[in-house]
Amino acid sequence: MKKVMVHPERCVGCMQCMAACATAHSQTKCLLTAIAETPLPKPRVHVGAGLYGEGFPNRCRHCDPAPCLLACLPGAISRHRDTDTVIINPDICINCASCAMACPFGVIRYHQDMTAAPGKTVAVKCDNCMARQRAGLNPACVEICKSGALTFEEPAAGLKRKTDEVARSVSVCAEGLPSAPGFALLNAVKKAQAGLSKM
Amino acid sequence: MSRKYEDLTITKDGQLLLKKAEHDQVETVWDRYQAQLPQCGYCDMGLSCRICIMGPCRVDPFGEGPQQGVCGADADIIVARNLGRMIAAGAASHSDHGRDLVEVLAEVAEGRAPGYTIVDEAKLKSLAAEFGVAVDGKDPLQIAKELAAAMQEEFGTRKKELTLLKRAPAKRQDIWKKLGIAPRGIDRETSEMMHRTHMGVDNGWVSLLLHGMRNALSDGWGGSMIATDVSDILFGTPKPAATTVNVGVLKEDQVNIIVHGHNPVVSEMVLQACQSPEMLQLASAKGAKGINLAGVCCTGNELLMRHGVPMAGNHLTTELVLATGAVDMMIVDYQCIMPSLGKVAACYHTKMISTSDKAHFPGMEHREFHPDNVADMARMVVKEAIDNFGRRGRVYIPVEPVNAIGGFSIETIIGALGGTPQPLIEAIKAGKIRGAAGVVGCNNPKIKQDYGHVTLTRRLIENDILVLDTGCAAVANAKAGFKVAEAINYAGPGLKEICGALGIPPVLHVGSCVDNVRILGLVSALANALGVDISDLPVAGAAPEWYSEKAATIGVYFVASGVYTVLGPMPPITGSMNIVNLLTQGLNDLVGAVFAVEPDPEKAAILIRKHIETKRQALGLPFLANVG
Repeated sequence: MKKVMVHPERCVGCMQCMAACATAHSQTKCLLTAIAETPLPKPRVHVGAGLYGEGFPNRCRHCDPAPCLLACLPGAISRHRDTDTVIINPDICINCASCAMACPFGVIRYHQDMTAAPGKTVAVKCDNCMARQRAGLNPACVEICKSGALTFEEPAAGLKRKTDEVARSVSVCAEGLPSAPGFALLNAVKKAQAGLSKM
Repeated sequence: MSRKYEDLTITKDGQLLLKKAEHDQVETVWDRYQAQLPQCGYCDMGLSCRICIMGPCRVDPFGEGPQQGVCGADADIIVARNLGRMIAAGAASHSDHGRDLVEVLAEVAEGRAPGYTIVDEAKLKSLAAEFGVAVDGKDPLQIAKELAAAMQEEFGTRKKELTLLKRAPAKRQDIWKKLGIAPRGIDRETSEMMHRTHMGVDNGWVSLLLHGMRNALSDGWGGSMIATDVSDILFGTPKPAATTVNVGVLKEDQVNIIVHGHNPVVSEMVLQACQSPEMLQLASAKGAKGINLAGVCCTGNELLMRHGVPMAGNHLTTELVLATGAVDMMIVDYQCIMPSLGKVAACYHTKMISTSDKAHFPGMEHREFHPDNVADMARMVVKEAIDNFGRRGRVYIPVEPVNAIGGFSIETIIGALGGTPQPLIEAIKAGKIRGAAGVVGCNNPKIKQDYGHVTLTRRLIENDILVLDTGCAAVANAKAGFKVAEAINYAGPGLKEICGALGIPPVLHVGSCVDNVRILGLVSALANALGVDISDLPVAGAAPEWYSEKAATIGVYFVASGVYTVLGPMPPITGSMNIVNLLTQGLNDLVGAVFAVEPDPEKAAILIRKHIETKRQALGLPFLANVG
């Protein structure tokens, strides 16, 4: 089964996954009109800033066992077995925040949503774009990501690729050249700048 | 604001006012910078393109995603086009500033600008001679009229080559001609850059960057140079004068007016109004002990250079100064005025006034100043500031001001040397002064405020390198106490001896950011006196905390003029290693100078010292083989 995989070293911090996610979870599915909707669609993926301002797309891991699912007393959270997705039923959710307290990754937010009754605030998180997947599309965050920080693939294939990358880096005579020297240079400058503020 | 104030700025006034701003729930540039993190890596690398609407496009730096925009432009082309437009914007800004001054000069000549006069007639005449305007037996106003017309021609397309290029050493002019980068018209090069970067025009990244140099030179040896020279004609060529700096220049018992921006056209008239007996009387009637005009940013530098007007702070202080609650009015013209200022001022009694027809801001009252109404407008707004004095709440001015000397125009520096650069050359030849460096540019929240400027400057002067500074860098160094005669104690023995004998500080304030052309003037004078090119001199430039498009253009005209230049923050070019390599290595073969990027000022100082010693060696002067 294909899953969304995160490759933090490739995140350039453009935040386009956030806009694409919000649009995918809007009524109109178009960024230009989505921003005029009520309730305003919001992203389920959030890009955080690392130690020197580098990006990281923080996304629901759909854990198993899922702490949020175990913590939900009304039973609003369940697992969709076909896509291995932890989902929240907005009609059952009582907005108690137990799931957010249990979540180790801080990916659950509370706001109104087009899937919930008008005016009702509910717990909202990544649903792996199940609607898009049913239509034969990749999750929106993966589709928009052009730097390869988010991929949708068989975990075994992704992990094999990563294993090979690590293997190549320890090859005898490996040059240790970064795959994108310009990006490595930019990050080196950012690290140097971040270090200066401590002086 | 989770970070410690000490991590954000080295300035005491800045740290204390950040605390005050946080207490007052005033959002500052540092808060907004944190909120922007992470910043988009495509944009940071120059790999995003918004030029046409087949896009927007971006190139994946890891090589797996798209490698070309919809039009087919690859990373090299996209980065070059973006950099080209950055240079064009910077050149347009400083050169438009220059155009505004030429217009005032023309209006003065026509008698349509009451309040302005020709202050430096000698400079008017020498400029006129350079532009081929006959001066003998002519009335100064007639000369001004003809000179203004001749300068306006520089902006257009009727010239084969800009007049002031002649000021550069002959060898430098030859290099420009050979490379085909001698600028022809000030606006022409900017306009051509916008044309070349349109989809489907110039798709050679090298030719784009060569034109980028021509575009920058059209500013450095054109628009900016005219701006400085005409400012000197209208308001006087700066002479050394004592002043004070930092937020402590505000006075609790006086009406405090701050001027902010770049063009002296408005601030000079505000100064006149502040000094008029009528306004002083009015202030006194309102219970104020006087009217205290101070500057921030470069319009402040213009007044500091010519009149010793105190300086409250540089770019990152412009919001914090309002948090004192002591500013009765801030009057802005244009450039580098954060659109947040109106919102900050709304937390206090401060009145915000915008004055330029081309610069409007939220939360400011717009009072348009034109050459024909400027004297009346200045009196009107100063009167409003006086009226506002009584509305002050609690005032917090947490520091005492620091003394400084400003006003080192090239004319004054040469004058202090006895009318010729020879004494400076002798000191350089003897190794007492190893060389000179221009430390220029802005503040940027990516670098702890003033840390880059002050650390680099301290390391340079203690190694006997004379520092000339401008803009926000100059304000940083003044706040640090480098601009008093006693600051020679920070200098190495040779520099200390020379500056001590001349009675000057080891760090010379040469003006606003538009005045970087004064540094071009000085290096040209040195090169001509030695019979060499600028690129042969033991000199360097640095912009340790730059942020603006104008600074990018300044950097490019420095390098294209032969000055090795070290940038603090990385420009958005890392998406193309071809361009990184051209700017940091390849340009040496073309113009005899390159860029370096080094955010750590300690390391930047070593780069500059090594460069200066290498140039000394090439000139056959005594040199140090091991630096750093």
